[in-house]
Amino acid sequence: MTRIVLKGLWARKRRLAGSLAAVFLGVSFLAGALVLGDTLNSSIGRFFGQAYAGTDASVRGSTNVGDSPMGERGTIDAGIADRVRRVPGVAVAEPVIDGAGQLLGRDGAAIAVLGPRTAGNWLTDARLNPYHLVEGRAPRADDEVVVNRAVANQGRLRLGDRTAVLTPRRVPVRVVGIAKFGDQDGFGGSSFTAFTVDGARRYVTASPNRISSVSVRAASGVSQAALVGRLRQVVPAGTEVITGTALGEEGMTAVTKGFLQMFRAFLLVFAGVALLVGTFSIYNTFTITVAQRSRESALLRAVGASRRQVLTSVMAEAGAIGLVASVAGVAGGLGFATALEAVFSAGGASLPVGGLVLTVTTVAVAVVVGVLVTLLACLLPAVRASRTPPVAALRETAAERPGASRGRALAGGTLTAGGVILAVVSAAAGNAMVLAGLGAVACLIGMVVLGPVAARPAGMLLGAPLRRVTGVLARRNTTRNPRRVAGAATALMIGIGVVTLFTVLAASSRASIQDTVSRSFGGDLAISTGSSVGGGFEPRLAEDVARLPQIEAAAGMGTGGVRIAGTAVRVRYADPAALTQVLDLGSAARLRPGQLAVTRATAHSHGWRTGTPLPVVFADGTRRTLTVGGTFEAGGPAGDYLLPRTEWTAHDPQPQDTTVLIKLRPGVSTAEGGSAVTRAAAPYAAPAVQSRRDYIDAQASGVNGLLTLVYVMLALAIVIALLGIANTLSLSVHERTRELGLLRAVGATRGQIRSIIRWESLMVALFGTAGGVGLGLLPGWALARAATGGTVAVPVTQLVVIVAIGALAGVLAALRPAHRAGRLEILRAAAAQ
Amino acid sequence: MMGERRAAARAVGATKVYGSGAAEVRAIDDVSVEFASGRFTAIMGPSGAGKSTLMHCVAGLDTLSSGQVFIGEIELGTLSDRRLTVLRRERVGFVFQSFNLLPSLSAAENVALPMTLAGTRPDPDWIEHVIDTVGLGDRRGHRPAELSGGQQQRVAVARALAARPDIVFADEPTGNLDSRTGAQILAFLRTAVSELDQTIVMVTHDPVAAGYADTAIFLADGGLSDRVEAPTARTVLDHMSALDAGADLPGRAR
Ligand SMILES: Nc1ncnc2c1ncn2[C@@H]1O[C@H](COP(=O)(O)OP(=O)(O)OP(=O)(O)O)[C@@H](O)[C@H]1O
Ligand SMILES: [Mg+2]
Repeated sequence: MTRIVLKGLWARKRRLAGSLAAVFLGVSFLAGALVLGDTLNSSIGRFFGQAYAGTDASVRGSTNVGDSPMGERGTIDAGIADRVRRVPGVAVAEPVIDGAGQLLGRDGAAIAVLGPRTAGNWLTDARLNPYHLVEGRAPRADDEVVVNRAVANQGRLRLGDRTAVLTPRRVPVRVVGIAKFGDQDGFGGSSFTAFTVDGARRYVTASPNRISSVSVRAASGVSQAALVGRLRQVVPAGTEVITGTALGEEGMTAVTKGFLQMFRAFLLVFAGVALLVGTFSIYNTFTITVAQRSRESALLRAVGASRRQVLTSVMAEAGAIGLVASVAGVAGGLGFATALEAVFSAGGASLPVGGLVLTVTTVAVAVVVGVLVTLLACLLPAVRASRTPPVAALRETAAERPGASRGRALAGGTLTAGGVILAVVSAAAGNAMVLAGLGAVACLIGMVVLGPVAARPAGMLLGAPLRRVTGVLARRNTTRNPRRVAGAATALMIGIGVVTLFTVLAASSRASIQDTVSRSFGGDLAISTGSSVGGGFEPRLAEDVARLPQIEAAAGMGTGGVRIAGTAVRVRYADPAALTQVLDLGSAARLRPGQLAVTRATAHSHGWRTGTPLPVVFADGTRRTLTVGGTFEAGGPAGDYLLPRTEWTAHDPQPQDTTVLIKLRPGVSTAEGGSAVTRAAAPYAAPAVQSRRDYIDAQASGVNGLLTLVYVMLALAIVIALLGIANTLSLSVHERTRELGLLRAVGATRGQIRSIIRWESLMVALFGTAGGVGLGLLPGWALARAATGGTVAVPVTQLVVIVAIGALAGVLAALRPAHRAGRLEILRAAAAQ
Repeated sequence: MMGERRAAARAVGATKVYGSGAAEVRAIDDVSVEFASGRFTAIMGPSGAGKSTLMHCVAGLDTLSSGQVFIGEIELGTLSDRRLTVLRRERVGFVFQSFNLLPSLSAAENVALPMTLAGTRPDPDWIEHVIDTVGLGDRRGHRPAELSGGQQQRVAVARALAARPDIVFADEPTGNLDSRTGAQILAFLRTAVSELDQTIVMVTHDPVAAGYADTAIFLADGGLSDRVEAPTARTVLDHMSALDAGADLPGRAR
């Protein structure tokens, strides 16, 4: 039997190429995602290993207001370094200062690196310092700095150049050294500007006796644990001591648990979509090949093969294909990981990728999933093959049942209707996301089941405008076997469905953000650092702007981390009196010292109301009780929590604004006001001044970047779906060899034959695309409603583009099959069995 | 019916070689033959003699290895695929032994197919007339799968004649039919020749079928071996026996 299977496989190798490709691409994506995850994991591990390789212990503030141990902490007393240095077993102890600092480039503007913009001190002990000089020397004077090579290159700064650092105060500096982090030009995408320790105290912690932490190196023979034990005896309350190893691990977990976990999940979701689409492609291919071989199967049965043997032979064939394609897919995954990395880098998320990491788990998972998916896709066709009655060998017609049953229509209709109802109801229900999600899944299954029922009428409808003979023949062929048409279209439908879903979700959340921002923002201009970490400007900027004759009001707003009722949250801080002139703050307009404001949604979910006292912990360890002084609408520029500036400034060594919202005096044009503000902002490293429109758009711009990535990921699913259509067409050309030969004999030109195949492909593709848009639109609507709380935007232009892409896909898919059909030799065709 | 008739199609030194080296087969070898216009010619001969090959080459479905074929005065070897297709569509009709019809089209649509492909609007009265003539007036909207084998062949004949081609080629058109149904088809072909002055070339194994023709030519081993004018089943049988004896072929003699 094995020999029969292998011979059969070999004989049909061309026809199986399509299935192979579908499995291969799906598995490549999966393996690529896993490889990239592992690679990032290992290179991030290496990164933190390098960063803390020479550090045996660290003393730091014990209050942490971030989500992870790596989160924001307050400063500690500078004298601790001296106290630590005197502990026996300490070889070196150096004060470490780290904070925000934006280096200005040659053009005088802040260098826009992607990662955090940091500043601190240059550690003189080479083993404690993760950076090492590649040019120049260490800083000696307060205005001398070492910068990492990546930021120097980006800002076109050279040794000896004079520039400035915003901390947020503008500090004139001279670049005396350029450093690398391990073998990289920087730590991730961050920028680092290192002063002398005195310089850093003066400008970064803004106090001569405050530092961030103390890095300690042990004398030889003293273990990290022993060292930490001794240090704990001498450090004051409010500080903690941890080993260098633990420090490295903290860093790693922060990245792997946070960003990396999301990143992996994100990639795996798309790998799943690709595999799902692939499954349908394979299923359809197998259904057709099995039907085409029904006489062969019947002959096998007639000469004595059992049902089980026929079933096994088809499944063995599927298993062999799955295995070959999956193994190839693992190899493809390595290439894919590289390509994905490039995609993400182009998308702005630079990833620290060293050599690709291929683990045994990745290989095992990819191969097992690939083979299982193939087997699953082939199970139904195999069962059908095994049911071929022996007499079918004697009959002329193929055993494939072309029609769709009533039961199918009923089941599919019920599922789809159920899904629609769930989705619609979800809009009004409590846990809307879950219901909408369930509705989406029900719709998906329902539409897959309904496919063959809908294919005939859809074919007639789509083909109705076709008048030319080739179009009419194509329509006839399309409506002849609705199951097959549906099968080919399903893969595309799923791909397009997911694309549509994301498009609607993205458009809706963009619209929702823009809505709230434009509703609450009453100003005309804004200055904003965007989403950069560590970027900001001196609070004095807002005051300068407010004093301009063209300006009615201007309010600066900063951001930072605190713990409220035990949970680490991001807060905004501003002068409420100024802010309320440019921003609708609802009942929080008259926020007083000792109070804080929260969004209505936050208040509702925690059961807080005006007057509720909340314990607040600041990074410097201060505990305060602030009462809820008012609530405002969620989704606006003020974030979720708003503190009066007076409550914040005392706890932050580097208070800086990230946004200034500006309102012009009546009669002042935007252009006039804009240039006045731009002039006022010039001394603050000229942050860009945005019009109201630009500012509102920019608030929603994060969605665009994400959407681009989603599209890139989904492009692959569409390609797999295309392969499915091309494959189905090829098989149907093969199957209709005699028919096409006859057409040629009675006078159809090669061009007409090609045209028939193209029209067929176009109709299948449009059917799939239309189904997909329908499939994505409704759950997209429901999910968007649930996510945004009401705002739903249907991006008509994008949807039209999606349909056009579907149609183009159909034409592309037809290229090869049409070419082959046109090339058929008449006699071979007419004589074919 | 007498006098010099123009040739509707002819072959000059037609040779078709399949394969090469030891596997070389000369399916037809230096065959020169004319098919007179307005006449019914039967091609006969034992299996493998090259009948189908000759017919395919003359009809422009296949190309010769050497020699020339003409439809009217047009030499097919010089035509591009496109011109050849158009020529087939406009001047040649076909009836095959089986699988003559597109399964997705109705009988009437199948009959009109060559004209539809040419982009000309078929005259519905004429199509109706042709279908009525083959006795399928009440079946015109049926799909091939809903017709019997004999009915399908009649539709095929109707299609071959409907476009009023210069010449119709039929390869064993009655091969799959019982003798009564076969007789209907043959009678119909005969009528087309006698009354519409249609030219028909038919390959057959059946002496009775050959009896409907004006001329029967005999092929053996890829070459022309004999020719009978105004054949009857009996005279054809006699010639077949003689040929078998002469060629020393087993089995056929009676
Ligand atoms: N495609 C081909 N490749 C190789 N040889 C071929 C091919 N087609 C036909 N032949 C050979 O050419 C010879 C003539 O074949 P042809 O089909 O013309 O015979 P025929 O007279 O029509 O026979 P039958 O009465 O059985 O239909 C045969 O020996 C056949 O084996
Ligand atoms: Mg033959």
